[in-house]
Amino acid sequence: MAKTLKYAYYPGCASQAITKEADSTTRKVAEILGIELHNMPKANCCGAGLLTDYNYDLYLALNARIFAQAEEMGMDIMTICSTCLMVMSTANKDLKNDPKLLEKTNEILASAGIRYNGTIKIKQLLWVLAGDYGLEDLKKKVTRPLKNLKVAPFYGCHSLRPSRALGFDDPERPWSLEAVISTLGAETVEYNGKIKCCGFQVDLVAEDTALEMTGKRLLNAKDEGGSCMVTPCPFCHINLDNYQGMAEKKTSHKLNMPVFHLAQLVGLALGITTEELKLSRHLVSARDVLKESNLL
Amino acid sequence: MSKEGCEPFLQAYDIEANKGMTILDALHFIKDEQDGTLAFRRSCRSAICGSCAVNLNGIPKLACNTQLIPEYKKSGAIVIEPLSNHRIIKDLVVDFNPFWEKMNKIEPWLNQKENYTREGEGLSAGQKKLQNFRKENTLRINNSSKCIMCGCCNGACNSLEIDRHFIAPAALAKAWRFVGDAREKQKKKRLEKISEVHGMWDCVRCINCTEYCPKDVAPLQAIERLRAEAIKEGITDNDGARHVESMVDSVKRVGRLDEAAMTFKTLGFLRSIGMIPFGLRMEMHGKMPMPLIFPQIEKIEEVKKIYEEIEKRKRKDTVSGQQSDS
Repeated sequence: MAKTLKYAYYPGCASQAITKEADSTTRKVAEILGIELHNMPKANCCGAGLLTDYNYDLYLALNARIFAQAEEMGMDIMTICSTCLMVMSTANKDLKNDPKLLEKTNEILASAGIRYNGTIKIKQLLWVLAGDYGLEDLKKKVTRPLKNLKVAPFYGCHSLRPSRALGFDDPERPWSLEAVISTLGAETVEYNGKIKCCGFQVDLVAEDTALEMTGKRLLNAKDEGGSCMVTPCPFCHINLDNYQGMAEKKTSHKLNMPVFHLAQLVGLALGITTEELKLSRHLVSARDVLKESNLL
Repeated sequence: MSKEGCEPFLQAYDIEANKGMTILDALHFIKDEQDGTLAFRRSCRSAICGSCAVNLNGIPKLACNTQLIPEYKKSGAIVIEPLSNHRIIKDLVVDFNPFWEKMNKIEPWLNQKENYTREGEGLSAGQKKLQNFRKENTLRINNSSKCIMCGCCNGACNSLEIDRHFIAPAALAKAWRFVGDAREKQKKKRLEKISEVHGMWDCVRCINCTEYCPKDVAPLQAIERLRAEAIKEGITDNDGARHVESMVDSVKRVGRLDEAAMTFKTLGFLRSIGMIPFGLRMEMHGKMPMPLIFPQIEKIEEVKKIYEEIEKRKRKDTVSGQQSDS
């Protein structure tokens, strides 16, 4: 790798609160890999799709405000949330494709003295590892290969769709998460739920649907031989881990499936201790699975 | 193949694939040369009639619009199954009655306003402005008008997979076709109806509908517009709209998503109390989101100014809208 990778780092709201462990682990992983993450203390929430349901102009303007900060810093954005990735990429694509729309948005931003010129890109940790940083270089940094660990990759929706705005991976047959898993020395479990939805967006609106969906994805991964799961999205993590107990009750299936944030699985292979990975913050313990694989 | 009443099964066929051959060509070849009992729907062979949607290697696609060799190269296999989320009648033929029932629920016809004048008929200056306004509106519903009712979106829908009563993307895209039409007089009534349970707020935003629509209808965009329109019309006495409003409020207040406050506002006081045991379990792992002590982002005043600017523009739009109506 010739030059140091630098990003304007956008952890997203979830990883500044409920899934703080994803943020702290990402920072440690970046340090080990030599990737510079620069904080964006002014950055607002992308709206998680909900602002789009309220007012399209407001959603675009608030997202452009985030992009303008990255532009000021002279860096592309890296997020660790798939929903932030999807929302920001869609807004960025719309603004870049339509000069009139960009101008209108800039007129709104002018009220706050901000301007966005449409020059930055949005990425997520998964793409940085599988793309910008590269799997070969990642492999060189692995000090604790995750042998014997059977990992079910869970992409969720927003790291794959809409592909017209995201464009990194193949939405039908994605490869990046599997590629990272095998680079870390673990075994990938194939199951058809990996590109489906966890149900997070309707947790508060249609709880029955959300829990049944979460349970179905977990059960699918378990039936295909997965002993744990990994996801690049903190919202998926909230459903798959925090809501797993309720999903068990709803679907009457014992699941007991530990779920890692992507950064945690990478961190584990890079030799970061389980204490530092803050695995104790998860509701489903990974202890037994890690012990069985001699990783604890 | 005919095996009446048995469990669904896969049947293998060997065929020679030619360059340019579509999945539908392959199905015809099999029916003509190998298995006359194979049942599938098709008509136009030109991606217009919407009859031939199937699951191809797990993804809903039009058989007539998809070439065989590129698909094979991508997946190393060609597995053709009946459209997902639909009951199988025979082979690749599925029951479309639930699809039409959902479509009927949104009343897919225009209820035209009485005072609507035809375009170009002796217009005054104010009416010309209104005509421009109508053109914009036509463009707004253009995507939704392109639907060929093939059912690919419903086949791919994650919410419909779990809840068969969900109204689903095809009908919602059609609903926007009429709600977004400037001539429609029952807009509010329509929005109220689809705001009910199993309605538009039950969409999980998996984006499969938009991703796999063969005609760029973009049903999710229609759903987002329907939701925004419903909130604008004041149809907010439901969890979905409250959820959005609490987000809008949270971002304005602290620049971020305040999970605890959003739960409280969406569910209300009593139902939030029901969440306490779950919250305590979360707290044991240090995961309880603390309400109202969420730190503000730096320069929150910029966010507030953007909100004010949007409000100003909304008021201006309302005034000019009223002027062109009168």
